[in-house]
Amino acid sequence: MDWTLILPETALLLLCVLLLCLMLIRKTPAAGVLSPLMGIATAGVGLAALWSFGFSGILFFSTYRVDLFSQCFKLLVWAAFFLTVFFSRSLHEIDDGRRLEYYFFLSAAALGMMMMASAVDLLTLYVSLELASYSLYLLSALKNRGRDAEAGVKYLFFGAAASGVFLWGASLLAGISGSTSLAGISENIHGLIASPASLVGMIFVCFSFLFKLSAFPLHFWAPDVYESAATPVVNFIATASKAAAVAVLARFLMFLPPSPEFVRALTAIAFASMTLGNCVALWQEDVKRLLAYSSVAQAGYILVGLLAAGGEGFSSAIFYTAAYVLMNAAAFFVVSRVALDSGHDNPRLSHFDGLAERSPFLALVLLISLLSLAGIPPLAGFTGKWILFSAAMDKGHWFLVLWAVLNSVVSLFYYLTLVKHAYLEKPKEGLPPMALPLAARTVGLALCLSIILLGIFPNALISLAQEAVLSGGLH
Amino acid sequence: MPFPVLSSILLSPVIGLILILLTPAKQENLVRAIALLSATVTVALSVYLCAIFNTADPAFQLVEHVEWVRSYGIHYSNAVDGLNLPMILLTSIVIFCGVLVSWTVTTRVKDFFANMLFLVSGVFGVFMTTNLFFFFLFYEIAVIPMYLLIVIWGSTNKQYAAMKLTLYLLLGSALMFAGFLYIYSLPGAQTFDLQTLKQNVSFSPEIQNILFLGLFLGFGVLAACFPFHVWSPDGHVAAPTAASMLHAGVLMKLGAYGILRVAIYLLPEGARHWAPVIAVLSLCNIVYGAMVATRQKDLKYIIGYSSVSHMGIVLLGISTLTPLGLNGAVFQMFSHGIMTALFFACVGFIYDGCHTRMLDELGGLSKQAPKISAFFIIAGLCGLGLPGMGGFVAELLVTLAAVSVYPWIGITSITALLITAYYVLTAVQKVFYGPLREKSAHLEDVGFLQFFPRAVLVGCLIYFGIFPQVFIQWISLSTKTLLGA
Repeated sequence: MDWTLILPETALLLLCVLLLCLMLIRKTPAAGVLSPLMGIATAGVGLAALWSFGFSGILFFSTYRVDLFSQCFKLLVWAAFFLTVFFSRSLHEIDDGRRLEYYFFLSAAALGMMMMASAVDLLTLYVSLELASYSLYLLSALKNRGRDAEAGVKYLFFGAAASGVFLWGASLLAGISGSTSLAGISENIHGLIASPASLVGMIFVCFSFLFKLSAFPLHFWAPDVYESAATPVVNFIATASKAAAVAVLARFLMFLPPSPEFVRALTAIAFASMTLGNCVALWQEDVKRLLAYSSVAQAGYILVGLLAAGGEGFSSAIFYTAAYVLMNAAAFFVVSRVALDSGHDNPRLSHFDGLAERSPFLALVLLISLLSLAGIPPLAGFTGKWILFSAAMDKGHWFLVLWAVLNSVVSLFYYLTLVKHAYLEKPKEGLPPMALPLAARTVGLALCLSIILLGIFPNALISLAQEAVLSGGLH
Repeated sequence: MPFPVLSSILLSPVIGLILILLTPAKQENLVRAIALLSATVTVALSVYLCAIFNTADPAFQLVEHVEWVRSYGIHYSNAVDGLNLPMILLTSIVIFCGVLVSWTVTTRVKDFFANMLFLVSGVFGVFMTTNLFFFFLFYEIAVIPMYLLIVIWGSTNKQYAAMKLTLYLLLGSALMFAGFLYIYSLPGAQTFDLQTLKQNVSFSPEIQNILFLGLFLGFGVLAACFPFHVWSPDGHVAAPTAASMLHAGVLMKLGAYGILRVAIYLLPEGARHWAPVIAVLSLCNIVYGAMVATRQKDLKYIIGYSSVSHMGIVLLGISTLTPLGLNGAVFQMFSHGIMTALFFACVGFIYDGCHTRMLDELGGLSKQAPKISAFFIIAGLCGLGLPGMGGFVAELLVTLAAVSVYPWIGITSITALLITAYYVLTAVQKVFYGPLREKSAHLEDVGFLQFFPRAVLVGCLIYFGIFPQVFIQWISLSTKTLLGA
């Protein structure tokens, strides 16, 4: 077996083991030591992910597939992981005594998400899904306050229920086809694709993925968890977890082309996600809740690409996911700085007042990330939406596209409200300018530049995504 | 490879923008100088463009083509013909004067000029691209900075006006977006390139009718077509002077230009189907805009509604679908752009000096400040269609075409000119003549720096009023080609 194929996973696993051993000997290094060490370790994982980029092969009795598709998503998950570790430097919401646990669960979740990108068997899919999920449940409840535990428990219960439904659906699919590998199911299910049992099986399996994507009607955990978890954790859930969900959903739909009924169900879900997410976001005062509902709406846009299927649909969904990770990370970057500055874990709209005067740079990062989320050119979010909707329109989903476009206009209202607070309102009396360390400045600048450059020069990533889709399918 | 004039015009404000972003915010004069320099370069290049433009060639000229995203048929391609040549010239003149006029802006100078240059690069992009992807991209770039310009540097109910303007315009652009994607999905299309679409795709009559309606509504919002004009007076009033100049002078033309360049070019049958409806709507614009203007007390609202009325003349010209009418429409787009920029430049100056724009509180300015009064009166005379001004020729062409195609609408639109004369002359009389009011007593007349940009605008109005054939020569072949004649 060629170990280089799973180099990034191995690196993450070693990191987990190391952290676990440190936990066992109950020796927590000081925060000033741990953060840089984690940074170096994360960079090492990144190198591993880059090293194995472009490799392909099938491992573990055909349950695990390494190809361009999976490696793209692993890089994406790594990028989100790296940013989260970086944001965790200024983590004040979790006790110092729990730092090791925090990083352990973070690495374990990242490992699970990377495995999700490669899983091509219902069982590996389930194991990796659970590895990622349980780590996230614990992460989101690590903050030591009653109400936060409530959100964590809610997340856990609904997540566990979604897993149960997944198993039920998986048992139906395996029962019909006599196989647990996606390729085997796809081969044997041909005549039965329209049968109610396979339809129910597919919908139930997808339930779990949609839960992770926080699409309607499985979105209700998102606002509570976003509100109560520590900001870097929310960033991780909003970026890496979404990317992994898109990976499994795309892989699943590539192997088992959906029947018209299933497409109709996805259409309804996309429609409802966009509408509900955008409408409810209009009324939010808490910025993290606002971003949670915005992520529900964004899940709807991504579904538009996924249900269009085909090379263009999947590749545009991949492109948009990459853009989404960048712009969401940029938004949470600003939120975490504002939270740190105001000493308030849940910054409200009013905490952003006068940001442009107190830190023009942060205000610019916020402006770019929000406009990109709203789909304003020349940013990555715009180009992503353009190709997503082109692909869907090409498949004849004109009504859904029209609705999505109108939704983008609605979303602009609440994004602009936040911009207005940052640029228009006066800062409260006596607040000093916000200081920004050089490292944070660099990361912010890199995020902004990548959002702009990806928007203006999308060709390289679009081609890469198209190749990835070709490599990730059945043949 | 020949010198890429068009891309250079587009890149000049972009480079200016980047340089301004890199300049420290305290170096205000350096920021202004960079903005002025890049605006000057665009003017110089546009004049050069006019000089090398071949009036005998009806096809796209100076084509620049770079493949951008091959799989979606997205190309970076620019070209110039008779329709966009005057628009590029107009934009460069207005931004040049706009930068000079906003020399007096003192709050957040860096942000202000960065937004202005960003906006204007979007406008240039829309006017020169021949690819629907870039058309839409630049279109939105032209709209978004307006929000910040109004909300930060504006006046009078600015938050409301800015949000209203942005949401209206983006609702319009959402319709365009859906329309463009629908065109892309038609059999044989799979590209966003305008010329390829025109050659390869055969639009059935039903599709033409539906698509044209969608695109017209989308563009019509920006062109302030009745009943979607409601954002425009509020927006113009709330915006700072230079933003009003750009907005009324150039941005509203994007809508009309889009109707010509995309909707009529791709969907001639659809245009013929809906032309009578457009004619009726444009008549509403002309008459209703003028009538509302007569009842306004705020000088800027008067000009805001006069813009609605004058954009009606553009739409009326388009709705005739005759070469004469289209020539008139394009001419009106140009002369109204210059005229309304002059209007806003004058009102902005008066407001800065008197801190009021209310007709009742102003008076006797012609003695106090004869130069600015003369500028305003010249713009007013152009607005009411005095012979010898650009506006006269444009309105004459449109009216002639309209009377021959839609006799009743044409005749009614002529009577609306009387209303225009009424409100323009009333405003002139109240503001510039009569007794000197307290608030206007301290107004100092324009110095050279503020005199120059306004004089440039007056010069353009008079030049094209006296030599309209120069202008008609540029556009006539292209309008004929557009109509397939």
